[in-house]
Amino acid sequence: MIKNRSTWLLLTPGIVLFLALLVSPIANILDESFRLFEPGRIGAAKDAPYTLFNYIELIDPAYFFYLYETFRFGIICSLIGLIIAFPIAYTIARQKSPLFRKLAIGFLIGMMFLNTLVRVYAMQLTFGPTGYAKFITGIFDISPNGRTYTEIVVMLGLLHYLIPISALTLIGTIQNINPRLTEAAQVLGSSRLKSHLTITVPLCVPGLLSAFLISFTLCLSAFVVPMVLGKGKVLFISNLIYARFSEIANYPSGSAVAIIMLVVSLLTIFIITSFVSSRWSTK
Amino acid sequence: MKRTVDNCGMIFSTVNILLALIFLLFPIIVSIIMSFDGRSYLGLFPPPEYSLRWYENFFSDTYYLKGLKTSLIIAVIATLISTTFGVSAAIGLDRYQGRGKQLLEALFLSPLVVPAVVIGFAILMFFAALGIFDGFTRLLGGHLIITFPYTVRTTLAGLVGIRKSLTEAAINLGATENQAFWDVTFPLARTGIVAGSVFAFAFSMDDVAVSFFLTSPETYTLPVAMISMMRTNFDLTIAAAAVVLMVFTFCLILILDWVIGLDKLIGKGVYRS
Repeated sequence: MIKNRSTWLLLTPGIVLFLALLVSPIANILDESFRLFEPGRIGAAKDAPYTLFNYIELIDPAYFFYLYETFRFGIICSLIGLIIAFPIAYTIARQKSPLFRKLAIGFLIGMMFLNTLVRVYAMQLTFGPTGYAKFITGIFDISPNGRTYTEIVVMLGLLHYLIPISALTLIGTIQNINPRLTEAAQVLGSSRLKSHLTITVPLCVPGLLSAFLISFTLCLSAFVVPMVLGKGKVLFISNLIYARFSEIANYPSGSAVAIIMLVVSLLTIFIITSFVSSRWSTK
Repeated sequence: MKRTVDNCGMIFSTVNILLALIFLLFPIIVSIIMSFDGRSYLGLFPPPEYSLRWYENFFSDTYYLKGLKTSLIIAVIATLISTTFGVSAAIGLDRYQGRGKQLLEALFLSPLVVPAVVIGFAILMFFAALGIFDGFTRLLGGHLIITFPYTVRTTLAGLVGIRKSLTEAAINLGATENQAFWDVTFPLARTGIVAGSVFAFAFSMDDVAVSFFLTSPETYTLPVAMISMMRTNFDLTIAAAAVVLMVFTFCLILILDWVIGLDKLIGKGVYRS
């Protein structure tokens, strides 16, 4: 039993940290989200009556739009990211030269580690008015201040982060596929493209789904990219929480949005992972 | 026909890789070049003349330096605490054989799936309810919870690879359980622990979404300082700050490579010749 006690002793600091900095704060905003908002107060009063108003208010189409925008950008960018990352991951995974491999992986990890703010600022300099905004909008004949261009820049900002992460996730998956399988198909007369489409890609589906899941959850919680690159035209749910908090100081409503965002993120992750594990069970 | 389709596929794939490389690198190069811009205003790229004025600005501006200092202090303290707690939790999890092991592991990793903005907002509200308004304490709390899962996960990954028979052999040969741990398990798990703390440091330095809610006018991190300057100010000191942060990232990559080797982070896969 001594061993058991020491095991619990080892787990205690983590559990305390977890309870103090994650569970209690979330329980607190859950409570706050059901409180009645009184304008001019910071946070709801201790004895404020409970109400569903903060949630009912969010059914309004104007708020629903934030959720829709977040999902739309999330799905589009995750898919584009996967399509671009797959050939990169494949080339690195099948690379024989150790030096090339190391440099390529180092480059991708560096790109992943790059400070979010550095990334956003670099995107703004490059695709903003002092960079190539005029040039790019000139090609497609759109306004550099219009919504379309802003949306494109937000997407590029997200992709700059998603491509390295998806590629790194996929390298592991592709490495575990036996290269003999595609070779066999090619020996038997299948074209290279077809052998990849019918063998490599289907075998990668679990990896593709988990890369999609990672990308999508990153998009759902994106905050800085839409805030800086979106210039107020593209706003995600994260930005709505911040606006509720900083601009109108409506804490109960901000809490309700945060709770909804949390539930949506967890549900998405749960649905995708249970879909993956039910179809591609590892056991 | 088959050939043509194949060649098109190959060309598409190569072009795709090249374009992605340009897309990833080019903005970084632009911001590095712009940080050496010699003009006194934010003008068109590329700059006609070069100077170090923005770096001089950055290193003499107390607003940025204060942010950099806070960022470093918070990152170091958060890394130390969350590595200690994370290693302890991972060893505990590795030993724990009772029910709910998976649940416990999922709980420890759960801050990874909670959106950062929700964490920041929730901690702000909770600390306010407790009457804690000190920026430093709040920031440290936020950074602890976002770095903790990384240290747990990498340490756990390192521990799982160590065969139990090694520790058992040591105990059979007369070592106490403590000795077996410090002489056998710990040295083998060290790479995982170091990787975890490098990740923790990197993510603490990187964070904006959590810190944004938790800063006070007196205590703010460098990324938060940069973002508020970005809104009000149109000079290139931010570019210099960005390059300073890039140097940090680069050093972290070198450390990671030196400690474990970048190749090992991904693994070699089953079918590599």
